[in-house]
Amino acid sequence: MAALLEVHGLSRHFGGLKAVDDLSFSVAEGEILGIIGPNGAGKTTAVNLVSGVIEPTSGEVTFAGQAITGLAPHILVAKGLARTFQATTVWTGCTVRENALRGAFRHLYPGFWATFLDTNRAREMRAKANAVVDELLASLSLTDVAEQIADSLPYGYQKTLGMVIALAAAPRLVMLDEPAAGLSAEEADHVRDTILRVRERGISVVVIDHNMRFIKGLCDRVLVIHQGRQLAVGAPADVLADPKVIEAYLGTADAAAHR
Amino acid sequence: MAQQSATIGEIPRGGHGVATRAAASGWIVPFAAVVLIMALWPLLVQQPYVINIGTNCCFFAIGAASLHLIIRTGHVSLGHAAFLGIGGYTTVLLFVKAGWPYPLALFAGVAAAGGAALAIGPIILRLTGKYFVLVTFLLGELIRMVFVEWVSLTGGAQGITQIPPPHPLLSSQLAYYYLALTVSALVLAFIIRLLNSEVGRAMDAMRQAPSLTECAGVPVVRFKVMIFAIACALVGLQGGLQAPFLRTIEPLTYGPLESLNMVVMNVIGGMTSIVGPLLGTVFLVVLPELLRDYVLMQRIFYGICLIIVMAFLPGGIVELWSRLGRLLLRREGR
Repeated sequence: MAALLEVHGLSRHFGGLKAVDDLSFSVAEGEILGIIGPNGAGKTTAVNLVSGVIEPTSGEVTFAGQAITGLAPHILVAKGLARTFQATTVWTGCTVRENALRGAFRHLYPGFWATFLDTNRAREMRAKANAVVDELLASLSLTDVAEQIADSLPYGYQKTLGMVIALAAAPRLVMLDEPAAGLSAEEADHVRDTILRVRERGISVVVIDHNMRFIKGLCDRVLVIHQGRQLAVGAPADVLADPKVIEAYLGTADAAAHR
Repeated sequence: MAQQSATIGEIPRGGHGVATRAAASGWIVPFAAVVLIMALWPLLVQQPYVINIGTNCCFFAIGAASLHLIIRTGHVSLGHAAFLGIGGYTTVLLFVKAGWPYPLALFAGVAAAGGAALAIGPIILRLTGKYFVLVTFLLGELIRMVFVEWVSLTGGAQGITQIPPPHPLLSSQLAYYYLALTVSALVLAFIIRLLNSEVGRAMDAMRQAPSLTECAGVPVVRFKVMIFAIACALVGLQGGLQAPFLRTIEPLTYGPLESLNMVVMNVIGGMTSIVGPLLGTVFLVVLPELLRDYVLMQRIFYGICLIIVMAFLPGGIVELWSRLGRLLLRREGR
């Protein structure tokens, strides 16, 4: 199976700091790839580079056979590459449905004059976007809270809504930046099941997280980043047993053995 | 207003399409009512002085509402009066000095203001918060200095006086009032409709969370540049129409104080809804006129009013309305 996303030799240097350094990885169609690493390892920077939020110093990114290095986020969304954010997951003061509809912008926007005059095409697009959003909300179990103000909901709901926003653009691959951070074990399990349902829709997933239990139960493969570089990659069980990985997380292997 | 009621709630379940369409056209009746009142009151009050205040109100409403567009994308411009000046000077120079027909000169003024914004926008709209405020302030000063220093063209600090009326019919104050009312009603209808469209929803989204909006597929910078250009073209229209009404054009009218005035109109009225800048305009244009006989008191009273509004209605005068609504609801509930 050909890789959907291929990242080759990706680097981003902030002055002397190599936040991401010569990083290469790939995501296959329908795969869930986990990216883990200690704080400041460069996980979020890597996602920011691939999703176009910041430009790489060097390296290449290919998506569905097209070179996409350095393209702006809104162009990448149109090509089928969406993402969520760690902190700002939803628009505050709007209902869950309005949030989801904002994510569906590219299915809603018929051009300046068409939306200004509310032409038939604009109405058709709105009806269709509403249907897409309704289906998504139902699929990720948010229908019951659809008319509630998003930021009044518990954190777990907001994280799920963040995914709905990204999925509303109908992507082929979605990158999730710490979808389980700050959640209880129960909520994290719920988010994990949600991500598995996302994959069932035929969407590839890249997921960043700290939570080992969460990553283990979810990912096909795991990429470990340490100081901006790849430390290990492979099946979750193998990677998490790798002495190099344990050392990066817990100090020396000896120290880990004494725990 | 329609925008706000849509966010606050009471959207019927399952009927979203219907609800948004109702909310999107709900502004038409109150808007038409206000325009009708504005069209009828001069028949009762026939003092030219009062009618001129009305004309100024209509003109300034264009500026305040167009600045509101920029504010809704998340940027506070302190150089809006400079674009007012570009529209004004271009129109007047072409009309008076080059002898162009007035409509053509006005069109050129609008295009010049919009074109200047289109040229500068892509550079400055990448700045956020206080940096954008600072740069637009400096830009405004720069443009004003051009008006002052380019004496051979603009007449320098004295400006250009005795601008003839654009049309013989417009020598009457009442006729000019109706021209101002018509144009500002059209401009406002355009702005309200724009805010109720997908463009308006995208503007609110990018103000709240720019990165999230960009990653939801909205070309944020391109939208901001487009809105900035539209807003500056509209304020240029105000400039081109207002200069012949005032009969003179001088750089002082387009300085930082005027830009600040337009920001204050938005702040004092309320920045979340288009009603805000309109209330702010009435407040800031009419109040100084009422206090004209007490020049010393004018500034003091003006300042006190500002402080009171800021302290008790941080959301602007618009907030009075929603507070009143809540108060009444509570009474009924008892």
